[in-house]
Amino acid sequence: MLRQWSAPSGQGLGQPEPEPGVEELWEQEMERLWSSQGHVRELPYAMVDRRLLRQLREPQGVKTSCWQRWRRRRQTAGRRLGEAARRLAQGFGLWEGALYEIGGLFGTGIQSYFTFLRFLLLLNLLTLLLTASFVLLPLIWLRPPDTGPSLNLTLQCPGGLQPQTGVPRFHNQLWNVLTGRAFNTTYLFYGAYQAGPESGSAYSIRLAYLLSPLACLLLCFCGTLRRMVKELPQRLFLGQDYRSPVSVKVFSSWDFCIRGREAATIKKHEISNEFKVELEEARRFLLMQQQTRAQKACYLLTYLRVNVLTGILVVGAISAIFWATKYSQDNKEEPLFVLLQYLPPGVIALVNFLGPLLFAFLIQLEKYPPSTEVNLTLICWENAVGEELYKLSIFNFLLTVAFAFFVSLPRRLLVERFSGPFWVWLDREEFLVPKNVLDIVAGQTVTWMGLFYCPLLPLVNSVFIFLTFYIKKYTLMRNSKASPRRFRASSSTFFFQLVLILGLLLAVVPLGYVVSSIHSSWDCGLFANYAAPWQVVPELVALRLPAAGQRALHYLGSHAFSFPFLILLSLVLTVCVSQSQANARAIQRIRKQLVWQVQEKWHLVEDLSRLLPEPGSGDSVGPESLHFRASRPRSFCPGFPCPGSPGQDQWPGPCLEDPAGLFGDRSPARRFRFPSGSEL
Amino acid sequence: MGGSGSRLSKELLAEYQVRGTRVPGELARGPALRSGVPGREAERPRPPGGPLNPSRFALQDLTFLTKQEIILAHRRFCELLPQEHRSMEESLQIRVSLEQILSLPELKANPFKERICKVFSTSPARDSLSFEDFLDLLSVFSDTATPDIKSHYAFRIFDFDDDGTLNREDLSQLVNCLTGQGEDTRLSASEMKQLIDNILEESDIDRDGTINLSEFQHVISRSPDFASSFKIVL
Repeated sequence: MLRQWSAPSGQGLGQPEPEPGVEELWEQEMERLWSSQGHVRELPYAMVDRRLLRQLREPQGVKTSCWQRWRRRRQTAGRRLGEAARRLAQGFGLWEGALYEIGGLFGTGIQSYFTFLRFLLLLNLLTLLLTASFVLLPLIWLRPPDTGPSLNLTLQCPGGLQPQTGVPRFHNQLWNVLTGRAFNTTYLFYGAYQAGPESGSAYSIRLAYLLSPLACLLLCFCGTLRRMVKELPQRLFLGQDYRSPVSVKVFSSWDFCIRGREAATIKKHEISNEFKVELEEARRFLLMQQQTRAQKACYLLTYLRVNVLTGILVVGAISAIFWATKYSQDNKEEPLFVLLQYLPPGVIALVNFLGPLLFAFLIQLEKYPPSTEVNLTLICWENAVGEELYKLSIFNFLLTVAFAFFVSLPRRLLVERFSGPFWVWLDREEFLVPKNVLDIVAGQTVTWMGLFYCPLLPLVNSVFIFLTFYIKKYTLMRNSKASPRRFRASSSTFFFQLVLILGLLLAVVPLGYVVSSIHSSWDCGLFANYAAPWQVVPELVALRLPAAGQRALHYLGSHAFSFPFLILLSLVLTVCVSQSQANARAIQRIRKQLVWQVQEKWHLVEDLSRLLPEPGSGDSVGPESLHFRASRPRSFCPGFPCPGSPGQDQWPGPCLEDPAGLFGDRSPARRFRFPSGSEL
Repeated sequence: MGGSGSRLSKELLAEYQVRGTRVPGELARGPALRSGVPGREAERPRPPGGPLNPSRFALQDLTFLTKQEIILAHRRFCELLPQEHRSMEESLQIRVSLEQILSLPELKANPFKERICKVFSTSPARDSLSFEDFLDLLSVFSDTATPDIKSHYAFRIFDFDDDGTLNREDLSQLVNCLTGQGEDTRLSASEMKQLIDNILEESDIDRDGTINLSEFQHVISRSPDFASSFKIVL
C-alpha cells in the first residue's frame, strides 16, 4: 500500500513526484481490465474507476447499432425477469418485513426457521395447486355419469366413526370439525371421490388421483433437495467433519444483518463461547490422546451406558405410542371416545416434549457436540406413527397455539412480576429452533402421509403454517429470550432440509405400500373394484397406449433392462469416485509445491541480497519492506491495494520505497533489499 | 424532499449516466481520474449540456443494486445531510462525515463499522463518504453481489493495518472485535495465541506467517454461511 511505503524512512531517494510510477501501474491495470471479460460491477474498485472503465469499454462516441441496443434492452429485461422470478421463488416476497425485523433482532439463525416456514407454505400451496388442477377441477367439470348409489356410499364411507351421543349438543359442531366428521362428505376425504369405469371417459380421474400425490411428493423432494444442495457445506458428514475449521468460523461468524445492540452483545457472547469451547475441546483431545488404558476403558463404559439408556428410552416411547393407538382403536364404543381419539396424538406429543429434555440431560453427561444432540432428538421424533392424520394435524396446531398462549405467556408474565430465585432460574422461554423445526416438519410429514387419503390436507396445513408464523413471531418477540446456543444459518438451513427429506421418505414408505398392495374398501371411493390402487396404471396402459408403447414400457420394467442399467450406474459411480480421489491427491501435491516454491523464492532473495551492494538506506527499510514483502503482488492487484482506491493520494512526503523504484532509474536490484529472511 | 419521489428517480439515474465523451487517449492523464484529489477536479471533463445530460447507461450497471434500492439509499443519505444541502446536485457531491454514517441503525451495532467506512471512503483522509461511496458499500453488501467481491472487501475490512495481508496483529484485533471487550468474553493471551496458531495453520498455505487475499478467499469459499451473513440491507 503506497501509504505505508511513504512512512517514516524519508531517505531522499530522489523521487519527489511519486505519481509517474504509480500512474504506469495504474495504466497497466486499466489495460488489463479493459480487455477482460468480467462485468464492470464485479470489479473491486471505487465507483469513479468503474465508471471510467465502462466508458473505456463502451466509448461514448461510437454509435451503437440497432442490434446492440436491442441486445442491451433484452439483457435488462432478462435481468428484471430474473429478479422477479427470484422474488416469486422466495415466496412472493411474503413476510419480507417480518423476516428482516427478526433477522435484525435475533440473527440469521433464528430467521432461518421463519424462512423455512415460508418455504413449507410454498410447498403446500404448490401441492394444493397440482391436486386441484388435476383432480378437483376435472372432477367438477366432467361430472361422473354414475352418481346413483353415491348417497348411500358417502354415508358409510370413511368407516369406523360412530355417531356420538355422550357429548352435549352445542359441542357437537366443534368436535365434528376437530375430528373431521363434519367434512366426511366433502372433497377433503377420500370417500367423496367417484368416477365411472375407465373405458368410459377420456380423462382418467383415477389415474390423476393416484398420480398427483406421487407427483407432489416428487416435486417436494426435488425442491427440497435443490435447496439442500445449495447450502451444502463442503466437507459434509453428520458427524466428525460437521464442525467447520476454526478459521472459517473466525472469518464468517459475524452476522452483518444484526441491528440491535443487545443482539450484538448476545452474538459476541456466543462467538466467544464458541471459540473457548473449541479451544477447550482441542486441549481435551490432546489430553485424551495421552490417556492411559484404564481411563480409556472408563470413557468407553460411560459411552455405552448413555447409549443403552437412550435405546431404552426410544423403545419405551415406541411401545407407549403403540399401546395408546391400540387402546384407542379397540375401545371405540367408550363414552369418552372423543377424548380417546386424541390419545395417540397426545402420547406422541408427550414423547416429543419429554424426549428432547431427557436426551439433553443425557447429553450433558457425555458432552456430545451439538450435531449428535440434534441427531438424537431427530430419532425420537421419527417414531411418530399416526393413523388419524387429520386429527394429528389439528392437534399439533392446537398444541402450538396452547403452548404459545398458555405456557409461554404466563411464564413471561410471572417472571417479570416476581423476582425470587426460582423465577430467575426459570427465566423466559428460550426460542429453541431445533424443536420448533421438528414440530413443523412433523406436521408436514403428516400432511404428506395423508395426501392419498385427504387430498386437501395441504390446504389445511397451509392455513396452519400461515397462522403458526404469526404465533411463533409473537412468541419470539414477546415471550422469549434469544438462545445463547450457537446456531448458524447455513448449517441449520441444510439440516432443516435434511430432516424434511427424511420426513418425506418416511411418508412415502407407507404410501407406497398402501398404493401398491392394500385393497381399497369395497364400496367406497375411486378404487373400489381394483385389487390395489396401482392396478389402475396397467389397466390404463393396456387400454390407451398403442402396442409399441406398451412393449417399450414392459421392456423398461423388466429385468433385461434393469441389470444393464444398474451396471452402467455402478460404472459411472466408480468413475466419479476415482476422479474425486485423483483430484484430492492433485490438491495435496499442488499445496506442497506451493510451499516449496515460496521457500525457494525466499532462498533466492536471500542469495541476491547477499550478493548485491548495500545502498545508503540501511535498516530503516525494515518495517515497510516487511509490509511490502507481504503485499507485493505478482500482477498488480489480485491482492490489493487496488489502484484508484483510497489512500493512493496520501503522500505526505517524497520518500519512496521499492515499488516506484521498479520504474524509476534505480536498478532493478533495489527491489531485493530485504532483511535476510529473519521473518521467515 | 418527500415530494420529489418520482422526479428523483429519473434525474438521479440520468445524473449517474456517463458524463461527457471521454476517449481512451486521455487515459494518460491518470491523476484526473481519481476522486478526492485536490486540485485535479477541474481536469475532469464536463459534458456540454450540464450534469443532467441524458445518456444511455444507468447506474444499475455499475452496482448490484436495483433501482428501488438506489432510490432508498439516496433518501437515507439525504436524511444525514443538513437541511440546506439536500438538493439533488449537492447531495451527489457532498461528503458525509464518518460519525454521521456510523449513526445509521444498520451500522451502529456492528463492531467493524469504522473499518467498513474507512474501506469504502475515497477521500484522502478517509474520513468521509460521498453518495457514490455509500452506494459502493451497499452494492458490495447487497444480496446479489458475487461472493468474490464480498470476500475481497471482507479481506480489506479485516486488514486493520491496511498492509495487504492479515498478520497476527490483524487477526488478534479481529478476534477482539468479534468477542467484544467484556471481561468474561475476552480471550486470554494464551487462548488468543492458540487460536491464531490454529487459524494460521489452517489457512496459511504458503507458510509465510500471514494470510494473503487468495488464501483468504480459499478459506471463505469453504463457508456457505459467509454470503448470507455478509449482508447489509437498508
